[in-house]
Amino acid sequence: MLFILEDAINGILMGSIYGLTAMGLTIIFGVLKVINFAHGSLLMIGMYVAYWTVALTGIHPYLSLFIVIPAMYLFGYYLQDIVIKPIFKAEKDVREPITVIIVTTGVWYILDNMTLLFFGPQYRSIDDNPLKGKMMELGEIMISVPKLWGFVTATITAFAIYYFLQYTRMGRAIRATSLDRDAASLSGINQYKIYNIAFGMGTAVAGIAAVTLVPFYNTFPSVGVLFDIKGFIIVVLGGLGSIHGAIIGGMIIGLIESVGPQFMAATWTEAIVYGLFLLVLFVKPSGLFGVKYDW
Amino acid sequence: MKKISALLAITLSIAVLITLSAISASAADKTVKIGNIIPLSGPSASVGQQGKNAREMAVEEINAAGGIASLGGAKLQMVYADSESKPEKGVGEAERLINTEKVSILTGCWNSAVTYPTTAVAERYGIPFVVPVSVADKITEQGFKNVFRIAAKDSWWTRDQFAFMKDMQAEFNTKIVKIAFVYENGDWGQGFAKQWKKLAAEAGYEIVLDEPYPSTSTDLSPIVQKIRRSKADVLMMVSNAIDAILLTNTINEYKVSLKAIITSGGGHADPSFLKAAGKNAQYLFDIVEWETDVNKAGAKEANEKFKAKYGSNLTGEAVDAYVAMYVIKDALERAGSIESDKIRAALASTNLTSGPGMIVGYDAVAFDKTGQNKHASLVMVQVNDIGKGLERITVWPKNARRAGYTPVFPKP
Repeated sequence: MLFILEDAINGILMGSIYGLTAMGLTIIFGVLKVINFAHGSLLMIGMYVAYWTVALTGIHPYLSLFIVIPAMYLFGYYLQDIVIKPIFKAEKDVREPITVIIVTTGVWYILDNMTLLFFGPQYRSIDDNPLKGKMMELGEIMISVPKLWGFVTATITAFAIYYFLQYTRMGRAIRATSLDRDAASLSGINQYKIYNIAFGMGTAVAGIAAVTLVPFYNTFPSVGVLFDIKGFIIVVLGGLGSIHGAIIGGMIIGLIESVGPQFMAATWTEAIVYGLFLLVLFVKPSGLFGVKYDW
Repeated sequence: MKKISALLAITLSIAVLITLSAISASAADKTVKIGNIIPLSGPSASVGQQGKNAREMAVEEINAAGGIASLGGAKLQMVYADSESKPEKGVGEAERLINTEKVSILTGCWNSAVTYPTTAVAERYGIPFVVPVSVADKITEQGFKNVFRIAAKDSWWTRDQFAFMKDMQAEFNTKIVKIAFVYENGDWGQGFAKQWKKLAAEAGYEIVLDEPYPSTSTDLSPIVQKIRRSKADVLMMVSNAIDAILLTNTINEYKVSLKAIITSGGGHADPSFLKAAGKNAQYLFDIVEWETDVNKAGAKEANEKFKAKYGSNLTGEAVDAYVAMYVIKDALERAGSIESDKIRAALASTNLTSGPGMIVGYDAVAFDKTGQNKHASLVMVQVNDIGKGLERITVWPKNARRAGYTPVFPKP
C-alpha cells in the first residue's frame, strides 16, 4: 500500500511537470487555433537557455527563471511576429489556417537541427546544482526534491496564468480574441498583437517548464520530441485551451506512468496512455475540461 | 581505295570509341562510393556522430595512403544518410543510395531495428552491406549473401556477460542469487533479454525482475522503484544513452543497493554517459567490443589521433566503424573491381589479421557463411576512479585486465 502511495506521489509530481510542458501548447492553441508543432523545440530552446545560464553563472537553477522567462517571451513574440504572422495574414479568410501548422513543423525542424549544429548531440546536465539527485525521505517514502519544486512551480504558473487571463485587461483581450477573433477586431483589439503576446506567453511557459526540468533532466537537441508527443496527448485529454485541464491531464498521464508499472511491464503503460487518448477522442472529443461549444 | 578508307574510318572510330569508354570507365573507377546509413539526428545522434567521425578518419588514412591500389589508386568516397533511428528512414535511404547515388557498398545502421529491414533492401539489389555493429542475431540469420557483420552478435554478448559473472563469483568468493533484467523494449533489448533468461535458467539464477521499458520514457523512477523492491543482487541492463543516464542517476537517488550492475554497451558506452552520470556510474561493469586501454598495436595511436581530431575517445562502435573501412579497403584491393558480386566474393573470403585497421581486441576478421565475423569477442570494463577521474578499466577476460587493477566487487 505504501508502495502505491509512493508511486502516486511521484506520478503527480512528474505529471504536473508534464502538464507544465503542455500548458504553453494549450495557450497557443486556445488563442491562435493553431497546433504548434514546434512546441517541443521551444521547450528545448528554453532548456538550453536555462542550462547555459546556470552553467556559466553557477546560480541556483530556479534563479535562471529571471532570464529564461523574458528571453523566451521575446523569442516567442518575434517568432510569431516575423515567421508565423505573414502566413496568418495570407490565410486571413480561412478559419483554421493549415499552412501555419506546416510552418510550425518547419520551425521545429530548423530549431532542432540548428541546436544540433551549434551544440552537438551531447547530453548536458548541471552536475553541481543544489537540486540534482536530492531526495526527501518521509519514513519509507522517498520523494524527489527537484520534482517537488517542479510541482510547486507548475501550480503557481497555472494559477498565475488563470488570474492573468481572467482578471486583467490584457487577459480579457486575449480571451475575446480566442472566442471570436473577428468580433474582437471589431471592438478595437489588434488581433495580431494578441497573437504575438499569446505566442510569447506560450513560449515563456515552455521556458518555465524547461527550468523545472534542467535540474534533474538532460539537455540535448531532440529532448523536445520526447515531451512533445506527451504534450499533445495531455492537451487533448485535458481539453484544448484549458489551463487547469493541461495540469490535470498531465497528472493523469504521470499517475498511469508511475503506478502502472507496479502491476505490469512499463511498456504497457504507454499502450494505456495512447488507449486513453483514443478513448477521449471517441467519447469526449473536447477533452475532460474543454468547453463544449466550438470556439 | 575507297573501300579501304571506309574500313579504316570504321576501325578508327571503333578504336576511338573503345578508348573513350575505357577512359570514362577508369575515370569512374577513380572513386568508390560507400553509402553509410547512420543516425545523425534523433535519439541516437550522439553514437551516429561517433561512427561518422571514425569512418572519416579511416577513409582519410586510406585515401592519403594511396587509395585502392588494385583499382588504380581509386579513392573512397563517403555518402552519408541520416536514419534518425527510424527503420522506414533507413529503408528509404538505402533505396536512394543504391538507385540515385549508385554506391558500391553500404554500411550502417547501428540501430538493429533499422539495420534489419535495411539489409533486406541491399540483398534485393545485390549490394554488399557491411554492418560494423548492430547486434541483433537475426541480422545475419536471414540467409542473406550480402550482409557482413564485424562486431559480435548479441547472443555472444550475453554469453560473455554470464561467463564474467561466473568468474567474478569464483574470484571474489561472493554468491550471486537474484538477478534483475531491465532493458529498452526495442529489438536490441528484447534480443538480450531472451538470451539472459535462457542463460540464467541454465546457470540456476533466480530472476526477480524482467522489465522492458520504452526508451522514450521521460521518467524512469517507476522502473527504479521496481528494481529497489525486487532486492536483486545483480542488475543487468540494456539502454540507449538518455535512458542509461536517467536510470543510473535515479538508481543512486533511490539508494538501491546492488552487488553489481552489468550493462551492455550502447548508451552506457557513450562518452556523454560518463559526463552526465558522473560519480553515479562508479563501479558499473560494462561489456564492450573495445576499450582505449586494450593492448593492441596501433590502438593507442589511433585513439590519440581520434581524440585530437574529435575531442573524445574512440568507442567500441567507433572502432567497429573504423575497422569496417579497412575491411572494405582490403576486400576492394582483392576484388580489383567495383562490381557488386566481385566485392561480395572478396568480402566473403576476408581474412584480415594485421595492418593499420586492426586495432580490435581480437586477432582476425573472417566471416562465416552467414556473414558473421567468427573471431569477434568482447571485453568487460569497470567504471572507476583510480586517481585520474572516472575511467573505463578493462577487467575481463582476466588475461586482458589492465596491469595492477583489482575490480571492485561486490559494489561497496
